Amino acid sequence: MTLQLQAPSFAASLSSFVSPLNRSTRRPVIRAKAEPSDKSVEIMRKFSEQYARKSGTYFCVDKGVTSVVIKGLADHKDSLGAPLCPCRHYDDKPAEAGQGFWNCPCVPMRERKECHCMLFLTPDNDFAGPEQAISLEEIRESTANM
Amino acid sequence: MAISVTASAVPCLTSDRMARIDAAAASSSSSCSKLSSSTSLRFPSHLRHVRIGTRDSRSRILPPVEAKKQTFSSFEDLLATSEKPVLVDFYATWCGPCQFMAPILNEVSITLNDKIQVVKIDTEKYPSIADKYNIQALPTFIIFKDGEPFDRFEGALTADQLVERIETTLKVRK
Repeated sequence: MTLQLQAPSFAASLSSFVSPLNRSTRRPVIRAKAEPSDKSVEIMRKFSEQYARKSGTYFCVDKGVTSVVIKGLADHKDSLGAPLCPCRHYDDKPAEAGQGFWNCPCVPMRERKECHCMLFLTPDNDFAGPEQAISLEEIRESTANM
Repeated sequence: MAISVTASAVPCLTSDRMARIDAAAASSSSSCSKLSSSTSLRFPSHLRHVRIGTRDSRSRILPPVEAKKQTFSSFEDLLATSEKPVLVDFYATWCGPCQFMAPILNEVSITLNDKIQVVKIDTEKYPSIADKYNIQALPTFIIFKDGEPFDRFEGALTADQLVERIETTLKVRK
């Protein structure tokens, strides 16, 4: 809990300390906020279900993974306006979101059904479960202690 | 470099080692990677079983190990002061496979307690470290030996696969 409170103030102090020194090279730091909005989670949940059906892929046998990724997509949708892939490290998130390669569904997924987030799994994948649906309740339960 | 900017920016890089036998120690799990051992993510049991080296019928009693939270002035400091090779997990809060790996890393750090130290780095909190090692996909695991990257792989894997990878890497190139 302490860490959660620390993080926002750390971000604030970092940007205010550093900006006088090298303002030109400092980009605003965008971090995951505590929780994505309910509205975005619902949007990304529906999207995930639809896209799994459309692409013939399945959710992970451990729905916790699915839930975390859906929330990650929702979080980026909130902060960047686009569901940037949550399973990557970026130099400049707003630029990436604007560019689009890694906006879900990302190009590797669209072209080769490759989803390293383990959100959309082809049936032959060891971790693929039998389902293409996930309820809001399931998402809430699996991510309750995060 | 983000780490040296403010005094409060002391990175809390934790080595997660959970006591398996003593369930009460679960509450002492590191708070820095607060999502580590307390998620409800679970592997189906047949994928979770970790084979420890010996096959003898006597059950192996593991000494209780408490999760240790250590503070280092920098990541370099951590690497420099470690006597064992270090397995570093670069992760992010909302990365599904990363959270999936959390309990597996705990298990593996107990199993290979004497061989390797396990550390997790939140790439959103320490982007400069992630940039330094060119991290792209998450999770990325780097095994550091003598302070330098020795082996590197991406993606989630089972406990067995992870133990195998670590043992192979450390054995072959020793």
